Amino acid sequence: MSELIGHSDTTTTSTGAAVLDIDRVSFGYPGQRVLDKTSLRVETGELIALVGLNGCGKSTLLRLAAGVLRPESGRVSVDGADMARTSRRAAARKVALLHQSAPAVPGLTVRQMVRQGRYAARGPLGMLRVGDDAVTVRAMLDVGVEQWADRPVETLSGGERQRVRLALALAQDTPVLLLDEPTTYLDLRHQLEVLQLVARLREERRLTVLMVLHDLNLAARFAERLVALRDGRVAADGPPDSVVTSELLREVFGIEGRVGRDPERGWPVCYPDRSTPLDIENRFHYH
Amino acid sequence: MMLTRRSASTAFTAPRAASPTRSRRRPALILGVLLLAVPLAAMTDLAAGRALAVGELWQALTGGAVDPIAHHLVWHVRLPRVLVALGAGASLGLAGLILQAALRNPLAAPEVTGVTPGAVLGAVAATGAGLANWASPAVVVVAAVVGGCGGAGLLWLLTARARDPDSMAVHGVLVSAALGGLTAVILLAVPGELGSFVQWMVGTTEARTWEHWTLLWPWALCWGVVACLTASPLMLLRCGERVAEAAGLVPARARGFALLCAVALTAGAVASVGALGFVGLVVPHAALALLGADLRITLPGAALGGAVAVCGADAAAQLISRAVTAWGAEHLSVPVGAVTTCVGAAVLLFVARRHAVEP
Repeated sequence: MSELIGHSDTTTTSTGAAVLDIDRVSFGYPGQRVLDKTSLRVETGELIALVGLNGCGKSTLLRLAAGVLRPESGRVSVDGADMARTSRRAAARKVALLHQSAPAVPGLTVRQMVRQGRYAARGPLGMLRVGDDAVTVRAMLDVGVEQWADRPVETLSGGERQRVRLALALAQDTPVLLLDEPTTYLDLRHQLEVLQLVARLREERRLTVLMVLHDLNLAARFAERLVALRDGRVAADGPPDSVVTSELLREVFGIEGRVGRDPERGWPVCYPDRSTPLDIENRFHYH
Repeated sequence: MMLTRRSASTAFTAPRAASPTRSRRRPALILGVLLLAVPLAAMTDLAAGRALAVGELWQALTGGAVDPIAHHLVWHVRLPRVLVALGAGASLGLAGLILQAALRNPLAAPEVTGVTPGAVLGAVAATGAGLANWASPAVVVVAAVVGGCGGAGLLWLLTARARDPDSMAVHGVLVSAALGGLTAVILLAVPGELGSFVQWMVGTTEARTWEHWTLLWPWALCWGVVACLTASPLMLLRCGERVAEAAGLVPARARGFALLCAVALTAGAVASVGALGFVGLVVPHAALALLGADLRITLPGAALGGAVAVCGADAAAQLISRAVTAWGAEHLSVPVGAVTTCVGAAVLLFVARRHAVEP
């Protein structure tokens, strides 16, 4: 461990808190409207889970929030600064985005991969310096992958790989963290580990977190606020207790089901029964 | 349960964790070895030619008393040849690695991006039109660079709609095939120049002069340095579009600039030695395997590796020519391109078979 820290310098910046404000944002691809005047404000230190059917615009919303996509109309801002007027690199210093999946890069070690998160902070030539900075090391320690620092990422298991990718996002050292299905492909144990980690980091650093989750039960368990998207619009927004209802299951997910309570903790728990015929996807994709 | 998992994982990682510095120093060590291999390959290449004993070569190099013919041979025939081989090899190795990283395609190589066939077409067209011959390398070099950039420009226009790696790879193959076809047309139209055409298409270091070298090295050095400085964006490009843009890169812009470097390096190399096969494909693979995915080290490594490979292949070509002549055949010069193509194909076959068994 001291070996790892030995290479560090003092570029650690305390992560400042920030408000993410998505204000009446519209976006579409040719022949396909994805988001229609969607608004969502994530307060400092808040953890929001975004739920909805496949293709309802969740991932697009995250990419707009990260400034990777530019909205056709409306505005995305972080602490008041318009992301459309922010350069790609400056945006990556404010908002980190973890995608669902990433292609394998042959031979890339954990350390090398996590260091990629420092690109925005240092720029291309800054990346040429030897050794890790403190933030890279801290990101590896945060997610517990430092013992594999010199192993190729491709030799790790799916859960470990997901933690490495999370470390890359954390190495960007941003106040806002966007996670697109961070638990995809993970078994139950690793799903819990990743979400606990996110919850812990959010508390320790007052991170503003917006994440897409498919598992409603996990979303209700970890988020303090749940936002459901349907047809690119916010269909429900509030604490899990009030959002997760059988109406939500019907309206947003097109399934008949019941909602109960965790007998000890009181969290809402879904019991899906069957899917109902639904025109959501058709209406949504072609108009 | 928890305990067994922990102990198993520590047992597995312990040997590596014990020496993190050694595994990180290994690439630097290999880079040093490559650096030493360059003068070694150059000396071998110098000594490999006909009609000169090693002693005479040494005397000529060190300025000792030697007959004027040997002096001329060493200083005006062999030295420029060796230097051009080194420069062209370094350019091709570097260009190949940049292409493979920027296009995220392990099979990307200068041959399939329109640059090499474009440069060959340029050189052949200039020779065929009577604008240039071996006595005026500058014209051929300029024509080849223009042709190479033209080939790449054609690819750029064709992929205007979508410049994603896959589309560029597919269109690159098409452009290369079309340009190769055009070269064949000129070849048939001006059969008198067949000999020099074939040399361009195979790649040769015969009859290179100091003029070739003075045209090559500033170009290769400039673009080589610029290319090595793009190591960080290239590493992000290798991680994929989504990861790169999330980390603060504009992938299209970075890829465009990287490709520009690759085109310039390839055009310079092809303009000075012709279309050396497989160097830009095999050398980057070897560099990545030996030096790892950190392109800050692997890019210079690919340049050194390319220089060693082409110089070594040139030495081998000369030795083979000597052996064939000694066998009693007529005077025959095996072009270096024949050696790189045969060896490269063999290496690729070996790698492909090994990966087929153990993916």
